[in-house]
Amino acid sequence: MTQPPVDALTPWPDTVVWRPVSPKLITVELIARVVWVVVFLAGLGIGWYFAPHWAWGAGMAAVVVYAIWRSVVTVRAVHAWGYAERDQDLLVKHGLLVRRLSIVPYARMQFVDVTAGPLERAFGLATVQLHTASAASDAKVPGLPPAEASRLRDRLTALGEDRAEGL
Amino acid sequence: MTTSPPPQQVTGEEPRKRLHPLSPILHGAKSIAVVVAALSWQTLSQVGLERFAIVVLVLALGVVIFSLVGWLTTGYHVVGRELRISDGLIWRRNRAIPLERLQAVELRRPLLAQLTGLAELRLEVVGGGKTEAPLAYLTVRDAAGLRERLLALAGRSQAPERADGGAPAAAPVAPTLERPLLRVPNRQLVISQLLTPQAIFLPLGIAFVVTQTLLEAQWTFIGIASTMTAMAGVLLQPVRRVLQDWDFRLARDPGGRLVVRYGLLETRSQVVPLNRVQSVGVTWPLLWRARKWLHLRLDIAGYAGEPGRDSKRSDRLLPVGEFATARGLVWDVLPGVDLATLATTPPPARARWVHPFALRYLGAGLTPEVFVTRWGLFTREMSLVPYARLQSVRVVQGPVQRWLGLATVYADTAGGRSGEARDRDLAEAWALAEQLALRARLARGPARS
Repeated sequence: MTQPPVDALTPWPDTVVWRPVSPKLITVELIARVVWVVVFLAGLGIGWYFAPHWAWGAGMAAVVVYAIWRSVVTVRAVHAWGYAERDQDLLVKHGLLVRRLSIVPYARMQFVDVTAGPLERAFGLATVQLHTASAASDAKVPGLPPAEASRLRDRLTALGEDRAEGL
Repeated sequence: MTTSPPPQQVTGEEPRKRLHPLSPILHGAKSIAVVVAALSWQTLSQVGLERFAIVVLVLALGVVIFSLVGWLTTGYHVVGRELRISDGLIWRRNRAIPLERLQAVELRRPLLAQLTGLAELRLEVVGGGKTEAPLAYLTVRDAAGLRERLLALAGRSQAPERADGGAPAAAPVAPTLERPLLRVPNRQLVISQLLTPQAIFLPLGIAFVVTQTLLEAQWTFIGIASTMTAMAGVLLQPVRRVLQDWDFRLARDPGGRLVVRYGLLETRSQVVPLNRVQSVGVTWPLLWRARKWLHLRLDIAGYAGEPGRDSKRSDRLLPVGEFATARGLVWDVLPGVDLATLATTPPPARARWVHPFALRYLGAGLTPEVFVTRWGLFTREMSLVPYARLQSVRVVQGPVQRWLGLATVYADTAGGRSGEARDRDLAEAWALAEQLALRARLARGPARS
């Protein structure tokens, strides 16, 4: 068992070898955001056309500023995603503003979801999500290449069956 | 019990059974009340009593016929280690409920069922959003027998010898061999419900309505009535709780399972295998503190998913009791856990920025068997999560927490409520998470291969 030492100077999550998610996820998220921004801007623009008022312009500016800020955050947030497979459990960390680390034992796995939206598929990405009996558990790894996603899914399923217990 | 001629007589398969023939009538009677309520008094005054009665009768007849068809098409039987239920006329549905997934079985007897000697059997299965397969209604004898059989099949240890015979289990199973654990005196229950905010505000509410009527002449009858209706929903909750928890009894059956019985108008009796207990919650409400009373809650995986109002509270372990009682009970449910010696440590002092008042009452601790967390300034609460039941561990750090170097550790259970160690020092949080994961693995490991 890889039993990392607990040390105040290097807390153990830092000693785990984290595997990053694909940087292509940044592109996917940015495209998704651009689509939303365009929709919003179009809506505001139509509003401006029919009822001229400076507030519409301010709204558009706000949307653009927010989108730019979110995009900057996205770039860093994608780098913050990470997962690690240990002997007995899967670790997933994510989040920038609110940082989250989940430890999900394979033995508790109920089922594994592999999903890929149209945009994700276009970029050859998939999301793997591990479900336990607890609704609160969140172990979701987005932005995996399909080969890696299916490898992870197969490995999780195999390990889950091996150690199956459920509840 | 009517055993319908089985359509498919496969070798070794047990014939399909029907529910009790009285059940469509009971279902119908239940819906008559709904029908009457829906038609409302206004309709009564408009159409006159005779016609009203005819309409109700026709509707009731329709409901009974509908239920009759439902009854004719509903059947259940045990196949191997599954309970199979089929129902529906147009949309046929066959459900196979794997008994390893069985969390708890509840025998419910609403008032009408009590009068007719029937009962409803409800199975709690994890993963089902709601109670799976309420078998309504069976005779009490059949229901108790079936329950015993399902539980025997569900518990792997005693499964073989009883399961294979296919013979209905000895019917009057329970009372002779059970070991009673406790009984909550009804007087204590009533006093405890009088000591709730709702009960205390009841006189205030009435006084408000009375003064409004006396002082303001425009307050019509409708105004009063609607105010009373609005208040009743909240204010009657203690009454409802007294009715529900009336004559609360706990016992251990020979298989070591927990048997909970309660209720006045609708009696319920639940059987919970001890290894299905996901967590135990202890609550000290503010108003009960003078009497040193507390409340124990039991989390079972099946119930948490149910968003219903009252059913959510059906997982109580002790509606009201003294500390000594609760201590004994916790020892029974989670062997080796002594409520009096659970040590917790508070978060670091700098967490005062986040919790100016309640810091003293926050705490978390790792005992040999359970993960203990405490919180709450007015209503003090404590949650005990056995390591063996942990589903996952999470460490969450929000922006303010990051600034203060704090983090919150969650221990998720299938019961829906997580053990929550709030605002621990970051290094401690990591260590806590690691320890929880490790202990959960150790607790899981040797128990079953």
